[in-house]
Amino acid sequence: MAGGTKAFQAFADLVSLLLRLTVLKWPAGEVKLHYEGPNPSTRILGGWDGPLDPLPLRNARFLRLNVSLFLEATPKGELLKVRKSSYQYQFDKEGDKWVWRYDYLRETAAEKPPAHLQINGGFAFKDIVPKKVSLHKIHFPTDRVSLESVIRLLADQFGVPCNNNAAIWRPVLSESESRFRTIAHRPG
Amino acid sequence: MSAIKLTREEIVQLIDREAQRRRGISAGQLLRAYREGRLEDPGEVADLLTLADLLSEDDEIFEAA
Repeated sequence: MAGGTKAFQAFADLVSLLLRLTVLKWPAGEVKLHYEGPNPSTRILGGWDGPLDPLPLRNARFLRLNVSLFLEATPKGELLKVRKSSYQYQFDKEGDKWVWRYDYLRETAAEKPPAHLQINGGFAFKDIVPKKVSLHKIHFPTDRVSLESVIRLLADQFGVPCNNNAAIWRPVLSESESRFRTIAHRPG
Repeated sequence: MSAIKLTREEIVQLIDREAQRRRGISAGQLLRAYREGRLEDPGEVADLLTLADLLSEDDEIFEAA
């Protein structure tokens, strides 16, 4: 992504636009940018009431959206990059009743895949995995999952109403996503 | 939209409160476990780990107790 500290705000503005066009309960909810004074090279996206506040959706559920951004020095100058991103669909504000979650960790020390999907559900029948592991503990490896695809999932398959007609937001998501795909770091 | 500044103390307090509620451990224990690759299911607390990215790399919270 393009760089400099203005890039943080530009990214936050884009995320806000995509969500306000679609599934975000607005103006009750909003995406905000947070930072810590002595550490100017990192920002995170959080919710209206604080960095841990999930975003309210138009169906009275929530999207826990967490993105950690940093500026990396490159020969082309400072570029904005994502260190972590997590999108969790949940029924309650606390997140105890979560449904699914996409996580991306640029740096991971664990054996789990750096980009993955987890689903809070149960197996359809017994003896699917060798150990007695619950489905929600399984980390299904994925490529980088875009916010745009998460929004489409919520709108198309989980029935979250949108603030605008699909004829308006689908082209916007498509354009935004195509740009994301050209610059997104691909997990190895 | 302008950025909201948080203090180190506010960040640690937020992480600690939720780490206690979800895992029954302190913020320091959570973050050290993650850094050392010992944290089970880090995605469950991805919001707390993201918030911790605002702390300095050498913050004392990452040091062993």
